[in-house]
Amino acid sequence: MKYEFTEDDLQEIEKIKAKYPEVKAATLPALWVAQNRFGHVNSDVQKLVAETLELPEAHVHGVATFYTQYYKEEKGKFVLDVCTCLSCQLCGGYDVLERAEEKLGIKAGETTDDGMFTLNEVECLGACGYAPMLQITNDKYVNNLTPEKIESLIEDLKAGKTPEYEQIEMPLRKVK
Amino acid sequence: MPEVFIDGKRFEYEGEQRLLQFIQDQGMEVPFFCYHPSLSAPANCRQCLVKVGQPVKDRETGEYELDENGERVIRWFPKLQTSCNTMISDGMVVHTQETDDLVKRAQKDTLEFILINHPLDCPICDQAGECPLQIQTYKYGPEGSRFEVKKVHKPKRIQLGPRVILDAERCINCTRCVRFTDEVSKTHQLTITSRGDKNYPITAPDREFDDAYSLNTVDICPVGALTSADFRFKARVWEMNQTPSIDITNAKGTNIDIWTRDNLVLRITPRYNEAVNDHWMPDEGREAYRLFNENRVSRPHQKIDNEQVKSSWNNAFATVAEQLEGVDKKDVLLIGSSHASVEENYILSKLSSLLGYNEPVFTSHTEKGKGDGFLLTDDLAPNANGCRLLGFNEVDNSKLSGLAEKAKVVLLLNDNLVDREVLSEDQLNNTFVVSFSTNHSQTSKTADLVIPITCIAEHAASYVNIDGRIQRSFPAKETKYTNRRLDFEMNEGRLDRYGTNFDNWVTEENKVDCLPFWIVASKLADQLGVDGFDYGNGREIMEEISSTLAPFEGVSYARMDEESGIVLDQEKTTVKS
Ligand code: SF4
Ligand code: FES
Repeated sequence: MKYEFTEDDLQEIEKIKAKYPEVKAATLPALWVAQNRFGHVNSDVQKLVAETLELPEAHVHGVATFYTQYYKEEKGKFVLDVCTCLSCQLCGGYDVLERAEEKLGIKAGETTDDGMFTLNEVECLGACGYAPMLQITNDKYVNNLTPEKIESLIEDLKAGKTPEYEQIEMPLRKVK
Repeated sequence: MPEVFIDGKRFEYEGEQRLLQFIQDQGMEVPFFCYHPSLSAPANCRQCLVKVGQPVKDRETGEYELDENGERVIRWFPKLQTSCNTMISDGMVVHTQETDDLVKRAQKDTLEFILINHPLDCPICDQAGECPLQIQTYKYGPEGSRFEVKKVHKPKRIQLGPRVILDAERCINCTRCVRFTDEVSKTHQLTITSRGDKNYPITAPDREFDDAYSLNTVDICPVGALTSADFRFKARVWEMNQTPSIDITNAKGTNIDIWTRDNLVLRITPRYNEAVNDHWMPDEGREAYRLFNENRVSRPHQKIDNEQVKSSWNNAFATVAEQLEGVDKKDVLLIGSSHASVEENYILSKLSSLLGYNEPVFTSHTEKGKGDGFLLTDDLAPNANGCRLLGFNEVDNSKLSGLAEKAKVVLLLNDNLVDREVLSEDQLNNTFVVSFSTNHSQTSKTADLVIPITCIAEHAASYVNIDGRIQRSFPAKETKYTNRRLDFEMNEGRLDRYGTNFDNWVTEENKVDCLPFWIVASKLADQLGVDGFDYGNGREIMEEISSTLAPFEGVSYARMDEESGIVLDQEKTTVKS
């Protein structure tokens, strides 16, 4: 498949480039433009980014592979990163993950046949206070999960309903 | 002058200096991996940690504050510092592993971390014996490891490019190879992929590491991660002899080391010369090792009934003499060679003047577009400038072929004129061609008589590079007539010292039956009845050259060795009497 940026994308990349003294600094945001456009930055997309920025392909490849947030292959429309690191693990992260696996009929690391969902088991996302939790496609956090809650989340996503951003108050120490 | 105190000793310094480099320049040591004097210093291996402090100054008076003992009060940096990217400043106090237990401990622990996932496969690793990781682990590393978990596995035997192979498990991610392609060869072909314990250097997807200088990364890789596709598994480092020499594949005069075992050249690596090639050399030059081993002319060959057969040395000299005596002096053409050394060419011209022949001519060997402004040059011969400074007539290809066609006898010093299409076989039909050759070639095949001469790996001789710098070689491999133990110019490695003809380390096979051109010429002169033409080695020829020819004034082997080559005054010319 041939990947090409649209005029808008190219304009955006020009704007990004103008922000920095050197184009090298534009690598990360330009990769985001690409991932937003194509859903991933596989090796062909990496080449396109390198060409567009006139940077060495090897450099763009190095950057893209350093960050897990850039998808180096095609993923589902929704990527569910379920945390099973310590706090989430203690609060039932594995129950959540397993229920998701059952519901989607895939194992962690796989993508559903219809290309809707990719399920990942990930390390700490820094939201231990509302464990267990997951993140949807590098974006929204869904917190205080239960097996039931993840089932309904999947149903909602299928129906095109994405969750709202959530603001959670942490219990503070009362100062007398 | 500003001063710095290292392990209690005071040193003076000038200008901007990196601490690690300065310590090394003083003959002391701090272990390190990622630093390289010709690359940037990203300080990512963390092996070169030292303790650094700065004396406290009184802000009002600018005087150093003193403690009750009258010593300067030192404010230590809160953490250990990487010496490779610390710049020295006036009054700085440094403690290395020699004087500070914390530093020692830190270096040991860093090594323990570096080795967590390293396979420790030194017994089967090509780098063993010349591996900074191995050496420094012995010197500064821990005895064991506390990491008893399974090691992380990574790809092995990746063919990064035509000449370089990667074993990612051995890599310590120092990024020297990546920085080399970014900063020196500027092809930007390598990067580090992934992160954490999964990272290793790689090209962009579907791209080859075909950099014209790619093998330098093998040299600078401080572990056995990058190995040469050609050299790997051929020899252990300690079995080989290392002899300084000069690259002969172009006119840059890149300084090299020739590595031999049992008189076979197994690899060529660059030798540091700041004024010529720094630490680097092109991949092409390394290929030249084959020239020294393969397809060598051994024993004189004479053409009988259109077929070259082996002949004896005596017969060869007698044949040349016979041919020369049978023709008019003006019908003899001597062709010098930019592929041969100053000494060889000088001897050719001396012979011609003693015998009353015309001065030798030569034609340079260039190919447009071969040069890259770095270490490759359009000129593909190592010594065109040497011939020019000797006062040889430089002629173009067509002129040369005209001269050769007219001549009755041609004496041709090692230059493959037929192979590079300056001369054609037909042109030489009515000419008796004597070729003094190192290797069999189309040209030597055309010759009526081939007399084998030593190559750069077998003699000490000098070459003048494109910038007019004269540099010399050392004999690296023996011929049938030389002996390592008797020739003081030659190195003796372990196998040479302890090997005998009765074990299987040493064979006679790899010694070529050839003589240095000056000895060949001396014997010829003898045959022709010329008195006093007797040269034993390059050193004495160079003494004669420097005392008689203006451009070479003051040149000697001793000076070339001392000063890593001498830039000749190209304004001066050799005046022919
Ligand atoms: S391959 Fe060698 S030079 Fe390259 S990063 Fe690894 S250890 Fe360093
Ligand atoms: S040499 Fe200083 S950190 Fe690697």
